[in-house]
Amino acid sequence: MKDISLVKFFPMEPKVPFLSIRTLAALLSTIAIIASLALFSVRGLNYGIDFTGGTVIEIDTGTTPDLAKIRTVVADAGFPGASVQGIAPDASSTLDHDYVRIGIPLQPETEETGAQAQQIAMKATQDALVANIDGFDGPEDIRSQEAVGSAVSGELRTKGALAVGLALLMVLAYIWFRFEWQFGMGAVIALFHDVILTIGVFSLTQIEFNLSIIAAILTIVGYSLNDTVIVYDRIRENLRKYKKMPLPEVLNLSINDTLSRTILTSFTTLLALFALYTLGGSGLRGFSFAMIWGVFVGTYSSIFVASPLLLMLKLKRGVNTGNAEKAEARLT
Amino acid sequence: MLFFSKWKITLILGALLLGFFFALPNALPSETRAKMPGMFQRTINLGLDLQGGAHMLLEVDLTSVISQALENERDTIRDGFREADRLRTETIRVDNENDAVIVRLRDAADSDKAFELLRGMSKAVDPQSLSNDKTTKVEKLSAKDFRVTITEANIADIQKRTIAQSMNVLRRRIDPQGTTEMTIAPEGDDRILLQIPGAKNVDDIKSVINKTANLAFHMVRKESNNEAAMELARREGSLSKVPPGAAYFPEEEGGGLIVERRTKITGECLKTSSEGLHPEGNYPIVNFTFNIRCARLFGELTQKNIGQRFAVVLDDVIITAPRINGAITGGSGFIEGSFTLESARELSLLLNAGALPAKLVIVEERTVGPGLGQDSINAGKIASIIGLAGVGLFMWLSYGLRFGTIANIALATNIILIAGALSLMGATLTLPGIAGIILTIGMAVDANVLIFERIREEAHLGRPPVNAIETGYRRSLAPILDANITTLIAAVTLYFVGSGPVRGFAVTLAIGIIMSVFTAVVVARLITATWLRRKRPKSLPI
Repeated sequence: MKDISLVKFFPMEPKVPFLSIRTLAALLSTIAIIASLALFSVRGLNYGIDFTGGTVIEIDTGTTPDLAKIRTVVADAGFPGASVQGIAPDASSTLDHDYVRIGIPLQPETEETGAQAQQIAMKATQDALVANIDGFDGPEDIRSQEAVGSAVSGELRTKGALAVGLALLMVLAYIWFRFEWQFGMGAVIALFHDVILTIGVFSLTQIEFNLSIIAAILTIVGYSLNDTVIVYDRIRENLRKYKKMPLPEVLNLSINDTLSRTILTSFTTLLALFALYTLGGSGLRGFSFAMIWGVFVGTYSSIFVASPLLLMLKLKRGVNTGNAEKAEARLT
Repeated sequence: MLFFSKWKITLILGALLLGFFFALPNALPSETRAKMPGMFQRTINLGLDLQGGAHMLLEVDLTSVISQALENERDTIRDGFREADRLRTETIRVDNENDAVIVRLRDAADSDKAFELLRGMSKAVDPQSLSNDKTTKVEKLSAKDFRVTITEANIADIQKRTIAQSMNVLRRRIDPQGTTEMTIAPEGDDRILLQIPGAKNVDDIKSVINKTANLAFHMVRKESNNEAAMELARREGSLSKVPPGAAYFPEEEGGGLIVERRTKITGECLKTSSEGLHPEGNYPIVNFTFNIRCARLFGELTQKNIGQRFAVVLDDVIITAPRINGAITGGSGFIEGSFTLESARELSLLLNAGALPAKLVIVEERTVGPGLGQDSINAGKIASIIGLAGVGLFMWLSYGLRFGTIANIALATNIILIAGALSLMGATLTLPGIAGIILTIGMAVDANVLIFERIREEAHLGRPPVNAIETGYRRSLAPILDANITTLIAAVTLYFVGSGPVRGFAVTLAIGIIMSVFTAVVVARLITATWLRRKRPKSLPI
């Protein structure tokens, strides 16, 4: 059987000096984290209605929409702060013209309107559109409509933050249980790094930040950790194998040992994600963008953040402390 | 690692076969599916964001129910004191802040008797239950003052019943024939989740949710509705200033009337109602029939009050206030107002379904039209196929025919098993769920990559093929488990904290992780072992 496995082109024992540029990487990561935090506090995030509350209606006007007119109609209906944008349909869509997305900011819940305020705003907008826009005849021309009140959006915000926090905490507990504490700390700091940088990029691009981005961040946490754990596992193994080798060399060797796997898995995951990003429809674009970013950041952080951190956290060699035997006992 | 006993092989193949069969119905046309045994008819449910439909979160106004309960308690206490011999009260009032009724006696000498009387009015919350929870708690504030508090157990019971009753009424209103596949479920303490797949006109649904449909027949107070009384009320600036025991309701046509507050003829009296046309005027009306008890009550009431007017009040608005021309004893009649045929039909539907015990407010709505849903499904399909093809091709390129094929069989099995598991669980596939599957396609090969890389390494160290493969599988097991358990932790967290479509993502991600470990560590290993036994290769094509 003739074979053409490309993998053979990978050097069997790559010797990339990853650890030697750790100072540069640390500098880069620090700058990126500071920039992300600064962006987040200055520019903030473009929260979707999941987190801000309000109303979003997507309508099909039958032809290419007259956005200026729709804008006037919506403003005249009492919502001058509303956003109106035309959106091109996906290639696989049944539509052959743009549809319109109308976003109405959260309406105050007065004594008169109560929690029903968003519903009232939605109805008023639709009535105004039916009366003034040709080609929009009501429910049958609505692609989707969403209305979230302030109580619910508040809860979703809390729940989202709670989800990310809880996931980080549980992961820390698991790594702690399986490895030495330095590994647990290293992994969680790397995860914070990934989460902060993801939030930073969303602040920079102002891509809508909604519930599905929370899902993406948690998946990034899972993915990045997956990568980190693979490298850590190899570090632990090599620590036992090469008892005399200096720590930085062990770390570098372990990263190189797992390098082909890291590259291959990142590549297949990115392959699937790019398919999702380009072909998966507008509903998943934000999610797949976050994930693509997350795969890059996660891979980077396992190599340049999680592993060098072990040096900084002064991981002790098992020979001196007897930890290696303990680790071995835990593993088997 | 490479030896599989007979029963193990049978077990693995059995599990795979079962997975295939559970996944199969999704690929069959519905007619063929109907002929399969029941267990294998299940398919993956499409979420509302994919098939189109309405998702609503309704908040039940429980505070109004509690204050209604307090008013009822006050009336009960007032009646109790009225019937009791020589027990005079100065005031009986509702204290909404403390969920209590405050009673003040006229004479401190009656203190003990009043205390006994009030305590006697407290009943068991649930006579069937073993717990000794009472409906009210009586406290003596001073010799003359008492506080009757509604107990927490009673409030919880009232809330539970309100939610349950609201759900029943909603079901009867939205789906009178019982043919729609919809979900009505309690959510948290005071909310109801409503999901209606394929809902065409959400406005119709909303309009039946928004109406409480509280119907009551009140006698109009003749003496109170003179010009002087109305003038006084108008001058005072509030029409709610009415004599004790009376109530003011606006009329639909404008104006308003002062009526007796208490009535025994309410929506609960109705046996049936239907829309119809007035026998003479030929305009839309709503016909109704009372149950036997109310038919008798109404007969007595109309007998006593010939020449007077009564008001038909729906949700605190007077629809009509006809004059009683003679005793109505048949227990049936009709309501005429300014109905259209459509609104008459809606009202009779609402009356048949019964009144909501509390006002419902839509606090969250997400509605997807069928067009958008279909677009999402198409896009998801294309992305999955391209993603799958890309990853498959890449595995062949990377690991060559032999091991590439093993990895790809594992990948294909993985997808089928995910479909099987989702069908078996009756899980719902949402748009983020599709993302979860596509992501799994990319990540699923990870376990195989880990194993293959390890095998390569071991072979490179000079181990013979069987030994290298054996060692490769053994040494990669721990990192695979560690890596996937951590991702699983993230998915499980997401499931418990997330809501709606995000939960769908967590489910597919979690199932995808479990299945990918199973296919890589068990299925692919079985294939490799079988191949090794048959071919006994001298070198590894990897």
